Amino acid sequence: MEILLDADRPLLFGWSNSFEEAQLLGVRIAGLIGGVIDNTASIYEGPAVPGFEELRHQGCTLEQVKEKSNVVVYWGCDPVMSHPRHMSRYTTYARYLFLDNSFRKRTVIVFDARKTSTSNLADEFVKIDPGCDYAVLSALRVIFLGKKDLLPAFISGVLREQLVHIAELIKNSRVCAFFIGQGLSETRGKFENIRNVVELARELNKHTETSIFPMWEHGNIYSAKKVLNQISGYPSSVDFARGVGYYNPGETTAVDVLARNECDACLIVGSDPGAILPRPCCQHLAQIPTIQIDPHINATTHLSKIQIPTAQSGIDAEGVYYRMDGTPVPIKKLYQSGYPSDAEVLKRIYIKIMDSKGVKP
Amino acid sequence: MKVTLSMRIPKNPPIPVEAEMIIPQSFYQGISIELYEGNKKRGLEEIFDVTIEGEADSPDEVEIVLCGDTGRLKRVGQKMGSGKITIFGDAGMHFGNFMSGGTITIHGNAGSWLGSGMTGGLITCHGDASHFCGAAYRIGCKGMEGGKIEVYRNSGDFTAGYLSGGTIHIHGRSGDLSGVGLRSGELLIDGDSERVCGGMTGGRCIVSGRVYDMLPTFEKKGTVRIGGKKFCRFEGDMANNGKGELVVSSFFNY
Repeated sequence: MEILLDADRPLLFGWSNSFEEAQLLGVRIAGLIGGVIDNTASIYEGPAVPGFEELRHQGCTLEQVKEKSNVVVYWGCDPVMSHPRHMSRYTTYARYLFLDNSFRKRTVIVFDARKTSTSNLADEFVKIDPGCDYAVLSALRVIFLGKKDLLPAFISGVLREQLVHIAELIKNSRVCAFFIGQGLSETRGKFENIRNVVELARELNKHTETSIFPMWEHGNIYSAKKVLNQISGYPSSVDFARGVGYYNPGETTAVDVLARNECDACLIVGSDPGAILPRPCCQHLAQIPTIQIDPHINATTHLSKIQIPTAQSGIDAEGVYYRMDGTPVPIKKLYQSGYPSDAEVLKRIYIKIMDSKGVKP
Repeated sequence: MKVTLSMRIPKNPPIPVEAEMIIPQSFYQGISIELYEGNKKRGLEEIFDVTIEGEADSPDEVEIVLCGDTGRLKRVGQKMGSGKITIFGDAGMHFGNFMSGGTITIHGNAGSWLGSGMTGGLITCHGDASHFCGAAYRIGCKGMEGGKIEVYRNSGDFTAGYLSGGTIHIHGRSGDLSGVGLRSGELLIDGDSERVCGGMTGGRCIVSGRVYDMLPTFEKKGTVRIGGKKFCRFEGDMANNGKGELVVSSFFNY
């Protein structure tokens, strides 16, 4: 607690394997101590997280995709490897209520820079030159606007005729679901790629129903985004240094704060930044007082000054997880262990900070 | 009035200093200037050695000179309306954002979001400018609306993003997706660039160097001659039904 209170620019990072209660307490602590709070979504799905909030894209649930969609597009993701049960539960192999023989009649389209396990199962595979997704997205938008003849014959390694054929497939679908991964959000263009895909969906919505889903890779990252959004108005990377939340990805994101050696203390909850952050960030974490609240010993433990072991969500702690489409899923615990949950640890820290600041609950 | 601010050596690691109150108007009015170092409020004298010479009858006559480790400073010249700021060193983020008049001269490199949202005045950077030079903030949709930014070396990605007025002149190279979402105003790039003006709807961009990965959604509209040199003229971005003008000396990978 003293480390956090003495710091001029504390960073609170992680939250992807914590329950909603712990995430809520984290935002409140950040507000009290004037720190920067960020979640792992800013690293994995960085531009996609705020993208949908800023561009006001309305999604739907995965059940609606399962029951209604007859065209599924995977762009820059490989769910066979990253989300092994995704295709069997919600898309390719899922039973389809409104169409007979759904396995054969559902069209799967994959856009990627290389062949993947998912592309091997696809009806259409579009191989894009690496980092050229923006151009292909723009070209698709031009095709939907009816100006296909103005495009060159080859667009970033893709034949114009292939794009026209895919545009027809999507246009004639009943419901089309786009699943986007790091291959789109973390490649050249970053946030502008997301903006472009949302613009494409807007254009498509004139012809058919279209939804976009980012393929979240961490357990409860949707909840971290939701909680932060409810309290501060922003989905990630919020700086409370001046009392009110300030959000500017590229400036207040954890990677940038650490890479510029700005923060002088760090609280890590429910994640392993030591394994995922760039080397300069890890070096800075090792130099400053870093506190880790996590059930596991992992790469971050060796960078931390203090490690507080807690119960594992879904094993010996229970709460609510949010699925990648925002549906809450209650998680029960299997047994009672002697460890406190991260929410209990954070609550004790929060109460002590409130006492020292003279804030009444 | 000449105000010289020399930054002291910090005790902490390089925690940024939010210094939006460092504008000529503040020194002309003689108000107490407070800065934020991280989450702590500091007085001007805690961070700078301050020297004030002469007097001024208006903010126009105030010149602020910054020296030392100025790369930590953020938001200097924010909402500045008149006067002059000179930085003998690097500039941090958000220098001159939302300024409406006056002059900022940076003798080192400039951080990200240089002159974002500015509506008037002149920013001159003798070094490199980082990403989002004159571009819109992520939660906003309008970039610079007026005035001029001149960068004598290179600029980063998303330069002039969503530019809505004014002129940005990059004398060196410009990064990826420069001029993205350009709406109005003029972007001049003397060196090379990549994927310029994606999603532009209006305005004008002239690239005197080579454009790599030229976007396919621009329609060729013949050639023009500028200063005796032949340039290709494009109109677009067709994906946005745009009517912007993109003039490039040469391009690659169309």
